[in-house]
Amino acid sequence: MICIELEQHLDSYLDHEIAADTAAVVREHLRTCFSCRQRVADREAVGRLVRSMPYYEAPDRLHMHVSTQVRRIRFTRHLFAWAAAAVFVVSVGGVISLVLPATGDDRTAGDVVDGHVRSLMAGHLFDVRSTDQHMVKPWFLGKLDFSPPVVDLASAGFPLVGGRLDYVSGRPVAALVYQRQQHTINVFISPTSSDRPNIGTWTLRGFQVRHWVRDRMSHWAVSDLNDIELSEFVAALRRM
Amino acid sequence: MPSRVFEDTVLPHLNAAFNYARWLTRKDEDAEDVVQDACVRAMRFFSSLRDDDARSWLFAIVRNTWYSRVTRRGAVNPLSLDMTDDPADSAPNPEARLLQQQTVARVRGALEQLPVEFREVLVLREIEGMSYKEIAAVVQVPIGTVMSRLARARDRLSAVLKSSPLAMERAR
Repeated sequence: MICIELEQHLDSYLDHEIAADTAAVVREHLRTCFSCRQRVADREAVGRLVRSMPYYEAPDRLHMHVSTQVRRIRFTRHLFAWAAAAVFVVSVGGVISLVLPATGDDRTAGDVVDGHVRSLMAGHLFDVRSTDQHMVKPWFLGKLDFSPPVVDLASAGFPLVGGRLDYVSGRPVAALVYQRQQHTINVFISPTSSDRPNIGTWTLRGFQVRHWVRDRMSHWAVSDLNDIELSEFVAALRRM
Repeated sequence: MPSRVFEDTVLPHLNAAFNYARWLTRKDEDAEDVVQDACVRAMRFFSSLRDDDARSWLFAIVRNTWYSRVTRRGAVNPLSLDMTDDPADSAPNPEARLLQQQTVARVRGALEQLPVEFREVLVLREIEGMSYKEIAAVVQVPIGTVMSRLARARDRLSAVLKSSPLAMERAR
């Protein structure tokens, strides 16, 4: 090794950041080179001078400020965590009540799908075949102990095609039949004492089911329509 | 996120963080502000502390906090100072003379005159005893850059210390 070469290893040698074999070569060179020993000594002196600097201690005030801030942030965080947990519980509760309504509703949803499938399989879709709501509505008179709301939704793209009597969960209901292209939508209507307006949603055996209550009438819509179109239908019906 | 651990992991390095910030800012009040801000940030990002080297991690946050404060203030970029090397002073200058002549105040003055990039690597290496790797983590540069900055910092510092004490006094 010559002096120029030592130059590039000087600092890593002093800082012990050098490979052992290179360090050995440097040591060997220093053993024989007085001027390089001087340079190393100079370098070490500079390091010692820097290390002799008094340490700037953080003032007590800073220690206190920081601890206070840390506590404050943690407190706020816990507060948020609890708030978030509360929101979570509430929203999960809400989702559960939508997805898993009373088991009675689940059973009814199953019955509704059964009724829908039966109407299609047996070819018994209509007792009264008409696109005129003013024909369909009076047809139920005297056959049911209630008068179901009957509206045509042709303007929304879901024309009314007829109606019939059906049974859901052991009681007679009005079934209205709507059409969307090749898809049939059955809406089962019967009176209820409940007046909760929110919509229940099921997907059963490939059928979409919606349930809502309006004017003390329980509505069950079921179809093989896709989720979005059936929601559109329900929204249109609820607007009328 | 174990917030309790923050006190045990990070706060023990508060003094060191302040010392580093003090050398960066050269002012007590500024160093306090920087460290205080940095600790709040550190608490926020505590989950990003992966390895055990909390000190380097905290120092890096201190440095970023200081840097963004300085640049926000509209000052010149503190890191774009003249980085050219001083001409090498090849005159032999024994350690004995250095040690005799320089007082703590002079060394401090000399250190504070150095561009902050050189000053900080010296402080991290000599005062904090950090390895090149740790310094690289704090300063966020490659290890090779740490090495060359340290070399140039030492060159510059010895040059300043060897220059006339009178000039030193005038400069302060």
